[in-house]
Amino acid sequence: MLAFAGSLVHAGLGSQGTLNPAGWPQLRRFLAAAAHPATSPEFIRLTLDATLTTLAYAVLGTAVAVGIGVVGGVAISESWWRRPPSGRPRRTGRAGEVGPWLASRLVVSLPRGVHEAVWGLALVTILGLDPLVGVLAIGVPYGAVTAKVYAELLDETPTGAFEALRTAGVGRLRALTYTLAPLAFPDMLSYAFYRFECAIRGAAILGIIGAGGLGFQLALSFQSLRYDEMWTLIYALMAVCGLADWWSTALRRRSALPPRTIAGLGDVGDSEQRLTGATRSALGRDRRLHASAAVVVALVVVSLWHLGVDVSTLWAPRAQRLASEMAASSFPPDLGVEELARLVVLSLQTLEMSVIAAVVASLAGTAMAFVIAGGVEAEQRAGVLQRVGAGAARGLLLVCRAVPPPVGALLLLFVLLPGPLPGALALAVYNAGILGRLMAEVVENLDPAPARALRSQGASAPQAFCYAILPRTLPRFAAFGLYRWEVAIRETVVVGLVGAGGLGRLLAQQLAAFDYRGATATLAALVVLTVAVDMVSSSVRRALR
Amino acid sequence: MNATDSLDVFEACTTPLRPRTTRAGTSATRPSGRPLRRLPGARMLLVLAALLVVTGACASTDGATHGERASGGDDQVFTIGAIPDQDPERLQRLYGIVADHLGEELGVAVEYEPVTDYAASVSLFRTGDLDMVWFGGLTGVQARLQVDGAEAILQRGIDERFHSIFIANTAAGLQPVDDVAGLSQLAGKRFTFGSESSTSGRLMPQFFLEQAGVSPETDFAGAAGFSGSHDKTIELVAAGTFEAGVVNEQVWTSRTEAGEVDLDKVTAIFRTPPYHDYHWVIRPDVVERFGDDFVTRVKAAFTELDPRDPNDAEILELFGAEEFIETDNDNYAEIEQVARDLGLIAQ
Amino acid sequence: MIRPDPGGGNRGIRNRSWRQRESDPGTAPVFSLRGAGVRFGATWALEGVDLEVGAGERVALVGPSGAGKTTLLSLLNGSRRPTAGRVAVLGRDLATVRPSELRHLQRRVGTVHQQHHLVGPLRVVHNVNAGRLGEWSLLEAVRSLISPTDVAAAEAALARVGIAEKLYERTDTLSGGQQQRVALARVLVQRPVAILGDEPISSLDPARAEEVMQLLAGLAGDAGRALVVSLHAVEHALRHCNRLVGLRQGRLVFDAAAAEVTPVMVEELYRIDQSTDEHGEGAA
Ligand SMILES: Nc1ncnc2c1ncn2[C@@H]1O[C@H](COP(=O)(O)OP(=O)(O)OP(=O)(O)O)[C@@H](O)[C@H]1O
Ligand SMILES: [Mg+2]
Repeated sequence: MLAFAGSLVHAGLGSQGTLNPAGWPQLRRFLAAAAHPATSPEFIRLTLDATLTTLAYAVLGTAVAVGIGVVGGVAISESWWRRPPSGRPRRTGRAGEVGPWLASRLVVSLPRGVHEAVWGLALVTILGLDPLVGVLAIGVPYGAVTAKVYAELLDETPTGAFEALRTAGVGRLRALTYTLAPLAFPDMLSYAFYRFECAIRGAAILGIIGAGGLGFQLALSFQSLRYDEMWTLIYALMAVCGLADWWSTALRRRSALPPRTIAGLGDVGDSEQRLTGATRSALGRDRRLHASAAVVVALVVVSLWHLGVDVSTLWAPRAQRLASEMAASSFPPDLGVEELARLVVLSLQTLEMSVIAAVVASLAGTAMAFVIAGGVEAEQRAGVLQRVGAGAARGLLLVCRAVPPPVGALLLLFVLLPGPLPGALALAVYNAGILGRLMAEVVENLDPAPARALRSQGASAPQAFCYAILPRTLPRFAAFGLYRWEVAIRETVVVGLVGAGGLGRLLAQQLAAFDYRGATATLAALVVLTVAVDMVSSSVRRALR
Repeated sequence: MNATDSLDVFEACTTPLRPRTTRAGTSATRPSGRPLRRLPGARMLLVLAALLVVTGACASTDGATHGERASGGDDQVFTIGAIPDQDPERLQRLYGIVADHLGEELGVAVEYEPVTDYAASVSLFRTGDLDMVWFGGLTGVQARLQVDGAEAILQRGIDERFHSIFIANTAAGLQPVDDVAGLSQLAGKRFTFGSESSTSGRLMPQFFLEQAGVSPETDFAGAAGFSGSHDKTIELVAAGTFEAGVVNEQVWTSRTEAGEVDLDKVTAIFRTPPYHDYHWVIRPDVVERFGDDFVTRVKAAFTELDPRDPNDAEILELFGAEEFIETDNDNYAEIEQVARDLGLIAQ
Repeated sequence: MIRPDPGGGNRGIRNRSWRQRESDPGTAPVFSLRGAGVRFGATWALEGVDLEVGAGERVALVGPSGAGKTTLLSLLNGSRRPTAGRVAVLGRDLATVRPSELRHLQRRVGTVHQQHHLVGPLRVVHNVNAGRLGEWSLLEAVRSLISPTDVAAAEAALARVGIAEKLYERTDTLSGGQQQRVALARVLVQRPVAILGDEPISSLDPARAEEVMQLLAGLAGDAGRALVVSLHAVEHALRHCNRLVGLRQGRLVFDAAAAEVTPVMVEELYRIDQSTDEHGEGAA
């Protein structure tokens, strides 16, 4: 596996010269501007307004996603389709149960094969300049993933009580709300918060393609190379991302919420940490949860108000006309021999980019996670240096995931020649920011006793690390890396849009030429690639578990 | 088990099991650390909620107006747009003034809606979110192909015979040339276009480069870059990030005349042959909304700009124009052909 | 409340001054606590503890839940610093030694925990070899992870605790009792001068508990090592140790030879105090 990755990295790096040292001064100027962000009152006001816009997209997008997730999750759960155990002879047999279930699974895997930015571009052509574009671009693909995860959560919940009720002749929906739903609720809530964290980053990316908010302002400031303004906006993004991360972690850690589950990955924390029934029943009484509910309501209201969402645009005649025009000009997809050959070549390039991104991000994320964990340990040992290092690492990770990858790619284009590599590296940096945080959480949640036991018998810190920390974390890190690989392949599109290579680049060209048939073909290739990577990654992950 | 163990200990000795006596005795004089440390979660969230409502209220004034217009219901606003070919601040200023001018001349509400990329301005023209857009040659053609009846109505005097300027970093060792063939010296250099859909920053330059035997796909060092706008191209070539680039002549002239370009670092090396470029394209449905003579009145609002009137002069100056003249769809047939040849218009 | 009897028991060394003993590592006691206290927030988990343990002694720490037994043991292996007072191992004050010397001292103290604190995903041989980390360099440690070194010693240690055949199993597939033995084998390869045990038998059935206690006492007895073990079962303490130290609410209540401990002393030690219900709830 590693050799495979290594060779691909080589392929990416080996092609002629890739560095452009002449661009260093520009990048240095950008970095130097971090120390003096723009602070004029107008710009601060603009930043606040943009922050609210980004937040509003994230909040409403997440709300839509959770709505779709709940309905869809129930509809595609196995439990839903399983018929009640009864004496009646089965007429349709197993196919009658599996058929609809499989079909419904397929329906959700399509929307999430496409990045939210692409959804945004497609929706703009139908809805025009409407806040619903941003909301739905996040809500629809996230809703699909959420539905899948919720279905898995429902299916993993012990079904004894559910079946007992069903046997007693209680209807499906009522049986579900009385048995499975309450049991799965904490996990579902926890996942919703994780989605919210992602939605904020997604909203920033959508901004860049024109939805408004921080991403939009960032793109505008970048176009005129106003680095000081860019940093003000980046700091705002960091604040929002950081706050969202803090909120969901605080809820998970201190409330009766379980450690989060990520796309069927299992818990981030030690599985031993799963909470008992007793703590779960405390859920309803938790003050923090009540306060959070208040914040969520406030957020939704403010968001609706701020964006001025009007759902009637969805069934306005204009939307219908534009949608049918779009459909007519997008089908059938362009799939001649020549196009197919090009798609295959570019698919390989996209694959290469995603592997570079995932591998580099995993390595960097792992390193950072351990630096952070070292600082946590140092709190008991007064290691000032480690604690400072850990703080710096946290900050760095936050910057990495707050800068949207298209902006990262453009920055890297200062010092790298145009091509797939800057895009791949921008994705690597971005994903390292996300992975590092997830991994640090794993290390922090790790039972420290084994390492402490080794330390107390005279082992050095690095030794204790090798014997007590690494063996327990590496398998899970590998699983995270694989999970991020799936995400990275979708994200190659967004860096492609600013000119980095692969299918995303082709898609950008096709969209610029309004070649919708070609774009449909490219999107189909992307979905196929995503599903393939999905399958490989989840089978490897299952083997790792 | 053990990680939660310590938490259990922690929880146990903080809230429920804390002996009543201790609390009565000491908490009045000394803040007990634990309960305080436990609170911030809930308290901070409430503060957050309050903060949100306040910011929401502050921003609500713009929010509401923005929302109203964005939801597309208001037919009475004439919305103009422009391809984002220059610094956004510059565009904002220019089109703010243009919107005011048009509002006065036409007697309707006029608004300028900024966009981040060329293709978006075409898409929004198609959806009807933008009623009239200042397009480049290529985007204008693309827009008209997507909206039946859309019309190219106005251009500047210079747009009849528009040129692109190839520029180079002075350290790159590139020589000024005066025929298209001279562009072959750009092979092997780090080169950037402007926007992907720009006529003067991409389409026509690529056409001339290919005439000189330089293919942008393969012949530069790395792939050709797309800086996004003319201003950014100048900046990046001056900084040496790219050794050469290409910009529209009007932007180049205006920036050099204003002394905004460091001519020791970046210099013009080639002026392309002329072609038709920028123009205003208007949607056909404005007639239904604003009256049969609306297009005529829009044309007049531009063609009657008077350089001697200080307000009009400012608009002309910001456009880099001496005058506006009428144009029509046929003027862009050549551009369309080149775009089809280069694959920038499908089929 | 029972105060320690100042004259009784094997208290001979107590009369020598602290300073004197510190300067003489050769004859210094293995552990020596002087007014040691540990505070968590506002509460003292351990307060004013004076204790000395010499080579060859087998000391049982007894006392109700929350008395401070675990805290005391963590002072002895240097994983916790006292908030007050001093802790010396082999005559060296842990507060003043350099980090390298601290590690050197820690290497000579082996600890067995109730929850074993083994690394589940590693093979047994690595968990045993982890006892050698104090003497190995980082390089040796990493090399052994890749291909186990000194397997013979690890195997011998496992044989001594009766599970030699488990050498290459994954540790988390072993039963609780077997894992406890792996932890013992780890301490064995460490070759310490003292063995500490924190409730090493409380998760074992009576027969296994007896066996492990015998093993522990035997391992200590082999080489004149000191053994300090916290126990909830007083009968085990009386049977396998020659000295009992009673802790209650962070204070040393008695320190007596096993033969001198009376049922009354034990009853007083575990008495549930009605007025402050703080520590009593889990004593059962
Ligand atoms: N890390 C900690 N933070 C705060 N208080 C602690 C911590 N560790 C122990 N304590 C407190 O110190 C006191 C002594 O704890 P200790 O674990 O030493 O008791 P113990 O005698 O080992 O009890 P048990 O028999 O239940 O294991 C208890 O009141 C406990 O709550
Ligand atoms: Mg204990």
